[in-house]
Amino acid sequence: MIINEINRTEAFRYLGIKGAPDNATVQLADECEKILLAEMAPKFCWTYAEISEYSNNSVKLSGYTLTLDGNDISAHLDGCIGVVLMCATLGNNIDKLLRQMQTQDMAKAVILDAMASAAIEQVCDEAEKEISARLENKHFTWRFSPGYGDFPIEVQKVFLTALNAQKVIGLCASQSGMLTPTKSVTAVIGVHEKSVQNKKHGCESCNMRDRCNYRKTGGTCQ
Amino acid sequence: MKKKKFYKLLSENEFVFLDGAMGTMLQAKGLETGGVPELLNLTKPEWLTEIHSAYVSAGSQLVYANTFGANRYKLAETGKSVAEIIPAAISNAKNAVGDKALVALDIGPIGQLLEPTGTLSFEEAYDIFREQIEAGKEADVVVFETMTDLYELKAAVLAAKENCDLPIICTMTFEQNMRTFTGCAISSMAITLEGLGVDAIGVNCSLGPRELEPVVAELSKWTTLPIVVKANAGLPDPVTNTYDITPEEFAESYVNLVKYGVKLVGGCCGTNPDFIRAVVNKLNGMKYTKPEVQLEAAVCTPAKTVEINQPRIIGERINPTGKKLFKEALKRGDIDYILNQAIQQIEAGADILDMNVGLPDIDEKEMMVRVVKAIQSVTDLPLQLDSTRPDVLEAALRIYNGKPIVNSVNGEEGSLEAILPLVKKYGAAVVGLTLDEGGIPKTADGRFAIAEKILDRAQKIGIPKRDVFIDCLTLTASAEQKAVMETINALHRVKTDLGLKTVLGVSNISFGLPNRELVNCNFLQMALTNGLDLPIINPNAALMTGAVRAYKLLTNIDENATEFIAAYAESSMTTSMSSTTAAPVQQKIGVSDLPTAIANGLKSEGAKITEELLKTHDTMDIVDNMLIPALDKAGAEFEQGKIFLPQLIMAANVAQAAFEVIKSHMSAGGETVSKGKVVLATVKGDIHDIGKNIVKVLLENYGFDVIDLGKDVPPETVVEAAVSHSVKLVGLSALMTTTLGAMEDTIKLLHEKNVPCKIVVGGAVLTPEYAEKIGADYYAKDAKETVDIAKKIYA
Repeated sequence: MIINEINRTEAFRYLGIKGAPDNATVQLADECEKILLAEMAPKFCWTYAEISEYSNNSVKLSGYTLTLDGNDISAHLDGCIGVVLMCATLGNNIDKLLRQMQTQDMAKAVILDAMASAAIEQVCDEAEKEISARLENKHFTWRFSPGYGDFPIEVQKVFLTALNAQKVIGLCASQSGMLTPTKSVTAVIGVHEKSVQNKKHGCESCNMRDRCNYRKTGGTCQ
Repeated sequence: MKKKKFYKLLSENEFVFLDGAMGTMLQAKGLETGGVPELLNLTKPEWLTEIHSAYVSAGSQLVYANTFGANRYKLAETGKSVAEIIPAAISNAKNAVGDKALVALDIGPIGQLLEPTGTLSFEEAYDIFREQIEAGKEADVVVFETMTDLYELKAAVLAAKENCDLPIICTMTFEQNMRTFTGCAISSMAITLEGLGVDAIGVNCSLGPRELEPVVAELSKWTTLPIVVKANAGLPDPVTNTYDITPEEFAESYVNLVKYGVKLVGGCCGTNPDFIRAVVNKLNGMKYTKPEVQLEAAVCTPAKTVEINQPRIIGERINPTGKKLFKEALKRGDIDYILNQAIQQIEAGADILDMNVGLPDIDEKEMMVRVVKAIQSVTDLPLQLDSTRPDVLEAALRIYNGKPIVNSVNGEEGSLEAILPLVKKYGAAVVGLTLDEGGIPKTADGRFAIAEKILDRAQKIGIPKRDVFIDCLTLTASAEQKAVMETINALHRVKTDLGLKTVLGVSNISFGLPNRELVNCNFLQMALTNGLDLPIINPNAALMTGAVRAYKLLTNIDENATEFIAAYAESSMTTSMSSTTAAPVQQKIGVSDLPTAIANGLKSEGAKITEELLKTHDTMDIVDNMLIPALDKAGAEFEQGKIFLPQLIMAANVAQAAFEVIKSHMSAGGETVSKGKVVLATVKGDIHDIGKNIVKVLLENYGFDVIDLGKDVPPETVVEAAVSHSVKLVGLSALMTTTLGAMEDTIKLLHEKNVPCKIVVGGAVLTPEYAEKIGADYYAKDAKETVDIAKKIYA
């Protein structure tokens, strides 16, 4: 996977920057982008599993011990024949880099942090393209991650085990369900036989809806 | 006894054949993906008998019991304990193989990342491995495999060494970039593990035997131990979960690996008895080739190996002796100050950092461990652990990640007896000082004799010669002018006659003289010319670091002057650039006052202006009437959405630079500028601390002393710090819903213990309502608001 540039619009949005950023910020972003592109080691792994049992609050997968619990994930997978389980990471090096940067230059560190968050989403987008090429004539929902809505974050450990993620891409969860390395994502993509109206990534299932800055100003994060 | 059996197996066979995959075989028998394979030891023992027997029939002489993930973390939800599963697994294997093969206790990674990226501590990791090892003593060998973190592997090896007498095999998993996922280099793995005294090392998983060839080739340059290879059956397909090479191709690739000194061979993911049989047949008749490798002196961290094959600079600045600010930082527990000392030296050109945190009124052992962990979390340079206390050295050696240098042992009986066994046990290198009960010998002969004695004693307990570095001791030229050449002559003889690496603290030479740097620099050149390998200097002194670089250039060590040019071509350019660009900028925007410097994020200007101001202004006047109003203005603009987070922090960075200047000025006068102390922590279980660190920067720039407890902080630690520093405000951060519980627990404990402080909380998932519900006094939506709250409380 090759990523040549970081999505700055996203990164600046994470930083709460509205309008055009000032020159000093842009200059730091230039430096951070260079470092990030050199230091990140994007990796992903995935698997496809058929849905064996579906109810409105739990989805079982054939051949897997993992079940996907919650009303929101079930709603997300409504009408799907299977799911893609995927995870991706920028690697351990980025955590080290962020620690280093925080001891040296906090302004640069926050920009790097935001750019790394943007980068992992780009990695997921690229991964999704590759996955989609392998699963011909199938249609995907958007990526739904543990912690969205009532899909419990506690599922991380089992989720990663199902993907053998530690062995394959070096991704683990901590006792409290945090992904380590930190710039990582786990997600479920619903797979449809036929093209469906791709439901918009709505605010209803978002845990941040009560305190979201985008919503406060009448917008969304999409 | 167990070791004998293993070594007999090695000596009686050209190659020792291991088994192939366990997981692949269990899945073929019906194990669901994500199921716990180790439970099958209890529920389906017949499956395991079948698998182990099949491997022995294929020619395996050492099989791995089905214990890879049998640790308390992975078994947590199964209702079964390590003590139930591991003995059953070993007995399944023993029953299946009888006396036809040995059985290994197989231990994989715990399943959580260790600190600093994860939350699992080294000590907890050790304890998890200890439990597995104690349950698996009936095995013939212990194997640690599929490891990607050298730190985790070190905890595992220590647990094995201290709790059983089984031979130890270690294999790590490398990617095509020749590193593990955590960035561990092959060289670092080899020298660390050989130092720790394991019995065989190698690689497993991740790639097929063909792709692993460069990895194995590299490994063979760094070890004298038998090499193990357990490759995958090629690369997996994500849809079908199948691997892409045949047993025949697999075996063919192993033939190419023999020349690198591969001794123990088997298979990993995707392999089965057919693969093992093919390898056995293929290698039949071939001879084991012991690699003829001459190991050189080297020290390392996981990501960086420093070979002592040319002069390497040891930075001396992490040491409180004679440094007032450093002493104060140690007393305050200000780790950031020390980290900055480390980073400065690295940027100046240090190759290794000496680390001494000894001070009479602090707990040196606790501080040493804390600082070693902190430095290793942000830098890759190897460390020289420096203490006069063996207990401090041992604590540091234990938790150090890689192979360090111990500073120091000397010719006194007590020192030799206390220090050398630690060096041996933890596989470090050691500095030997040429002094003994009689003091420092006046002559080169006398010092040489002590060096010989130290070497002899080190070798007697199994420390290799390459790991003994001798310090012939610099005496002050102004007091003992005649002694200077004795030092140089002793050094020369130790280097040429004993063939040992030499180390020397240089700066002492000029004590009490004018123009010290000139003397230091010349003495350094004399020492280098006479064979000094490890000058201990202040790398921030440009002339000293330059002298080493120039020496390397002139002796053709730095071929084509690559390093020299890299160090100076650019820096002279930037110096000239900054001197030409800085002036116009200053003129253009007229940066002569602190508020403008802060508003424009001009850090070095801010510091310079502050220096100037201190000549004419009172410190509090500068803080209260210039610094803080400027920060307030930036804060207000941030609230109004006129500037954004990066700019706010850039402003804070300038204020920080100004504060540094003020602090060092005041430290000389003994006053303080503190507006009050605040304890900050990211709660237990949470590792996302960037928000907390932003708050810290801002608070510090408003003159608050921040006691930063870091991330993943237990409630007790917060209470302890709040009490011992008698703070009026504690700030807690949490990012995840799963760690809000820990935040609540921390607040509860602060209340229970009646700590008279206010509590402010913040973090992405918090709301003012939730903050109130869990008993916090304040909710802060961002760093700026936390400062406002702190100001109110300390008003």
